[in-house]
Amino acid sequence: MSAATTTAATSANCGNCSAATGGAHFCPACGKIQPLPRGTDYFAFFGLPQKLTLDLEQLEQKFHSLSWKLHPDHFARASEDERQLSLDRSSQLNDAYRTLRDPVARVEYLLGLAGMRKEGQKKQQAPPELLEEVFELNESLDELRETRASGGTAATMSGLRAKLETAQHKFEASLAAVDLELARVSTEWDAALDSSADDAAKKKLMEKMNEVLNRRSYIRNMVNGVRQELAGA
Amino acid sequence: MAYSDKVVDHYEHPRNVGSLPKDDPNVGTGLVGAPECGDVMRLQMKINPETQVIEEAKFKTFGCGSAIASSSLATEWVKGKTVSEALAISNTDIVRELSLPPVKIHCSVLAEDAIKAAIEDWKKKKEVSAPAANATAGN
Ligand code: FES
Repeated sequence: MSAATTTAATSANCGNCSAATGGAHFCPACGKIQPLPRGTDYFAFFGLPQKLTLDLEQLEQKFHSLSWKLHPDHFARASEDERQLSLDRSSQLNDAYRTLRDPVARVEYLLGLAGMRKEGQKKQQAPPELLEEVFELNESLDELRETRASGGTAATMSGLRAKLETAQHKFEASLAAVDLELARVSTEWDAALDSSADDAAKKKLMEKMNEVLNRRSYIRNMVNGVRQELAGA
Repeated sequence: MAYSDKVVDHYEHPRNVGSLPKDDPNVGTGLVGAPECGDVMRLQMKINPETQVIEEAKFKTFGCGSAIASSSLATEWVKGKTVSEALAISNTDIVRELSLPPVKIHCSVLAEDAIKAAIEDWKKKKEVSAPAANATAGN
């Protein structure tokens, strides 16, 4: 699939009056609700280019106005087909909104469109230092659990806790740093779209985003793991 | 989700959990992770430099049931095999043996990667410990 640009599917025609719809939710000529053209992505659903910086307020407004217009209640007396279309569109609207509203899910989705987040595919390994860190942290978490289960002394427990608290601060800082990095590459991506950069340049940025996302998932895991454990300790 | 009997068996009775001395020149260590979920797996094997046979294998996995089962199975499979036989093990063999569903494929990929990484590490160690021999052998 070609790297992202604006992909509103434009070849669709209205099933009712056969006017060209340009992939719109409603036929511009007769106003009937339209089936989803194949390949409509979440960005196109909102009439947006595939950019990663979004005005969240505007997105929310569009979401509310669309969910009102597409709501199945408005189609109670419409044909069976139209009712089904309103259901389909409404559920896609919710998925699209949930995905685009979150900056990380948004990047993941964009990369998914380019086929870069496939399950089970060989992936570049995270930096070895990061893997070491993850491994060590997991061992400390294990240690804490075992100590707690075997009724360790208060002194041992508080020693372990202190160690984990230090780790927590560190990983939360890493998470913030990786999020900043993701925001930075996202901005670069938008700039590349604006300047109609070539596919090779876009691909490179996507690979960078992919790499950042991968690192992020380990860090987020560590943050969650430590939080959970500290909450229970 | 429903795990297959074999996964449950490995999960409840993991084989070869533990560690081998990292600094032993005959021990290769593979530490790999799955970015999908942030899980990590460490697989170590002790390899006889004369015969290239894997004499011992240990693992420690922080991850889901399928990842634990995959690595447990991997240690069972590599033991007694030669390095090149072990390198031929692919994640699809593991998927088949454990009947893993599609969403759990990455867990088996992790085990395959770990085998390869451990052997890679062992090879690297050998080169470092015998650079002179390699240099002359290359002539
Ligand atoms: S879900 Fe992470 S390794 Fe299986």
